[in-house]
Amino acid sequence: MTHKNTLRPLLWVFILSGALAACQKFSLDELEVAERTGEYAFPLFSTSIGLKDLVLKVLNDSLDSDTIVINPDQTMTLFYSGDVAEKPASDIFRFFNFPEVPVPINDTFYVYPFNTPDSVYIRRVEVASGTLNLVVNNARNQPITGTFHILQMSKNGQPFSIPFSVPARQTFISPPIPLKDYTLASDSNRLEFRYEAYLPDGTRIKIDDILPGIAGIGILIQGFTAAYMEGYWGYSEYPLTLDTIDIDINQTNLKGNVKVKNPKVTMTITNSWGFPTRGVVKYLSFIGRDGKEYPLKSSVFFGDSIDFNYPSWAAGEIGKTKETHVVLDSTNSNIAEIFNAQPVRLIYEVAGISNARKDPSIVGFLTDKSTIALRMKVELLLEGSAQDFGAEQTLGVNFGEFADFDTSRIEAVEFKIVTENNTPIGAALQLYFLDDDGRVLDSLFTGPPPFVIKAPSVNGNGITTSTARAETFAPMDVARFSQVRQAKSMLLRAAFTTAQNGQVPVKLLATQGIALRMGLKVRTRLGGKP
Amino acid sequence: MLAIAAALIAVRSAAQQELMLYQTSDLWHAHAANPALFPKDKRLFVGGPTIGLDATHSGNIAYNDLLRREDGRAILDLGGAIGKLELENTLRLDQRNERLLLGARLGGWYLSAGWSQRTTATATYPRALAELLWYGNGPYVGQVLDIGPAISTVRWEELSAGLARNIGQNLRLGIRLKYLSGTAMLLSDAERYRIRVYTEPDVYQLSLQTDYAFYSSSLIGAVDTSGFGYDLSFNALRNRLGQNSGIGFDAGLQLQLGERLSLSVSALDLGGRIAWRKNTAYFHSQGTFNYNGVFLPGTDILNGTVDSLDFGAALDSLNDVLNFQKTDAELTTSLPARYYAAVQWQLLKNWRIGAVVHHQRDERRQNTAVGFSGHWTPIPWLTVGAMYSINDRSATNVGLSATVRIGPLQAFALSDNALNAVTPYRSAAVNFRLGAALVF
Repeated sequence: MTHKNTLRPLLWVFILSGALAACQKFSLDELEVAERTGEYAFPLFSTSIGLKDLVLKVLNDSLDSDTIVINPDQTMTLFYSGDVAEKPASDIFRFFNFPEVPVPINDTFYVYPFNTPDSVYIRRVEVASGTLNLVVNNARNQPITGTFHILQMSKNGQPFSIPFSVPARQTFISPPIPLKDYTLASDSNRLEFRYEAYLPDGTRIKIDDILPGIAGIGILIQGFTAAYMEGYWGYSEYPLTLDTIDIDINQTNLKGNVKVKNPKVTMTITNSWGFPTRGVVKYLSFIGRDGKEYPLKSSVFFGDSIDFNYPSWAAGEIGKTKETHVVLDSTNSNIAEIFNAQPVRLIYEVAGISNARKDPSIVGFLTDKSTIALRMKVELLLEGSAQDFGAEQTLGVNFGEFADFDTSRIEAVEFKIVTENNTPIGAALQLYFLDDDGRVLDSLFTGPPPFVIKAPSVNGNGITTSTARAETFAPMDVARFSQVRQAKSMLLRAAFTTAQNGQVPVKLLATQGIALRMGLKVRTRLGGKP
Repeated sequence: MLAIAAALIAVRSAAQQELMLYQTSDLWHAHAANPALFPKDKRLFVGGPTIGLDATHSGNIAYNDLLRREDGRAILDLGGAIGKLELENTLRLDQRNERLLLGARLGGWYLSAGWSQRTTATATYPRALAELLWYGNGPYVGQVLDIGPAISTVRWEELSAGLARNIGQNLRLGIRLKYLSGTAMLLSDAERYRIRVYTEPDVYQLSLQTDYAFYSSSLIGAVDTSGFGYDLSFNALRNRLGQNSGIGFDAGLQLQLGERLSLSVSALDLGGRIAWRKNTAYFHSQGTFNYNGVFLPGTDILNGTVDSLDFGAALDSLNDVLNFQKTDAELTTSLPARYYAAVQWQLLKNWRIGAVVHHQRDERRQNTAVGFSGHWTPIPWLTVGAMYSINDRSATNVGLSATVRIGPLQAFALSDNALNAVTPYRSAAVNFRLGAALVF
């Protein structure tokens, strides 16, 4: 047996004192040692568990370190986040959908209405990309010369124009003309095209139709994108996000009650759209463990909506991003009551309304990088209380030579468990010894599981002020011990209760932890006849 | 405690007794205690083997406290002895096996020659050692147990040649040269005798510190601590005569002051040294072993990735701590010098009284004994004696002696502590000597 072997080497020093004589006349092998009761004490194992690791484990295996955040004061916050709903402006507002075929210009002055969403009036566009081709068909028997103009488009103060010269009976196609850095200025959501065409004798003409009703001049615009748009956004509603957030803390299959102090739901809107947007909460409800819906109501919302901050054209905030934080907590919502029902998920749907106030004086803008992003989080500072919050874990165990040791001479054993705990969580533990098939051979403690881990007292902030040491003894007769040492695994079942019997909220700090050690005393018959 | 038992068992064969032997000066074997002592009016002396024992244990530990017979089996039982042990205990053993002792008188000269086997041993050990081994560490949780014993054991063969001469009518001087051949030696290093065991009260974490060393010649050849155990190899190499040698001297005188009074003085083992050069090694164990059980990372427990609690693997390092490094060594050991001074007064024709002082000193022990003796010869062939003596461990020692002379035969039995001599198994101090000689 190991403990015996530990001591055996010491025996030789005794022998030294009489070895001289022994070597001549005396054989140790002939001497029988009297039977007696000896007791050996030795350690079995030790471990330490950080509270952060414990929390991660108890809550859910799928949690990662991003979910739990260590705050500067070493408190820990659990974050459950929904997907980030990021909407570029182009997803909502579709402008300038130029046709893939040339736009016919039916007269020397032609008004082309460009496509804008309803209620949006664009007065200025800065082109980011795109090309323009001018196509002129000359059906006459003499050449034509002229110039094409887009009156609302200019670059560096120079209006856009394309001169053209088309031989008789031929078609002129201009090379692609880059539109980048051109500016469109219109207050009526339209472009005005004009051309002047002349015969060799100076007679101004209208380009003849190719066929009746099909203009002989047109432009093809491809790849058109705007770097900047400025105008007026009227009232318009559009969807932003629909998502679900799982609340893992309440999704364990464990028994017990956990009360979380001051849970929060935060909605963060990151907005670079340059016009007023109102968020409309179409749906915001927790689903309880009982499957019931618990609508989250808050005074933060005006009715069911809230205006998002936005970069203001008037304030010169083009290109900037504004954030809006909406915090729903116990001071402005019913979230605390909802968490009493241990919700398992949050479902939310949010829509946006542009210029909800329908203020025509507001000049808005969009850039090619403008987005609006909405992130919903459930934020749980690990401050709360728990009673009999259960967790369990299975550990492999191999008693090695202990398993084969002849226990016929063992009278009794006694396990000693020592814990040193500076977390505000105490625990009653029971250890079940399992055989190969997972059947329970025995348990470490008879009767109710004792409080092996005691929670130290906490101060007014719910933070522990000391380390609680607990010593627990588990005596076991030899019959039970013989069973136990055949175990192949151990099921550790713990029921956590926070300080002061779970009556006061406590804070869990990342630096806190529990040290657990176990030793064993074996009282055995020694010597005598084997 | 095994050592104590072993020692007591081993020395049944022979021993040296000094106080009563010294005062029984008409015995030829008294010559061993003083090279100037020769029986009166005799010319030839042939001493045979003697059997004796001179062993003591501090406190009140007796053989029967350790060993008992049960159904023909020898049972070692420390249960009763541990309660009698002091915090620190000393076992002393002096052994002198006289194999042959010859002498002759040639006019005013005396010649002698002898061959003996001698052992001197001292072992000092703490009670904690016995307790730990007998009861385990369980009862001593939270206590630091220093269990390293101090051991000094030397065995040697002694060949001697003596010469004595009468100086005038009343003075005889004797000297003896001794050739010493060491046969076995075990000597702990006085600077390194720490073996400390501590069991923490927390969860019984074990701590073992060793800085223990000893010299050994012939006695222990190897120490193997593999498998968490020990394996001592005894007597793997035997020292032959002369391989580890030295010399020593004895000197003595006897002064006759008138018809009735005589004085005698002797000094034995003067300058006695043995140089151990063959089969001699130094064994040293030094290290610290802390066993805290198996450490399980907390995350492994939480994640259920603890495959197995392997309690044995972590103990492997224990072997490293206990392992004794053996190096060849040379060593010179000194024999403890002994001194006698005695006076005898022939009170009546058949009554003699006397007093004797004995002192022994070496580096590890020092003891003095004083004895007052009386000898009565009621009939020509029988002399009986008695002695009251005081020594370091007792002030109530009563010695007895009996010498029978049948023709040239001298047969004797004597003891410094007669009560213990007849009940040696129940005594903490045992002292007696039996022997015979022919004197012509």
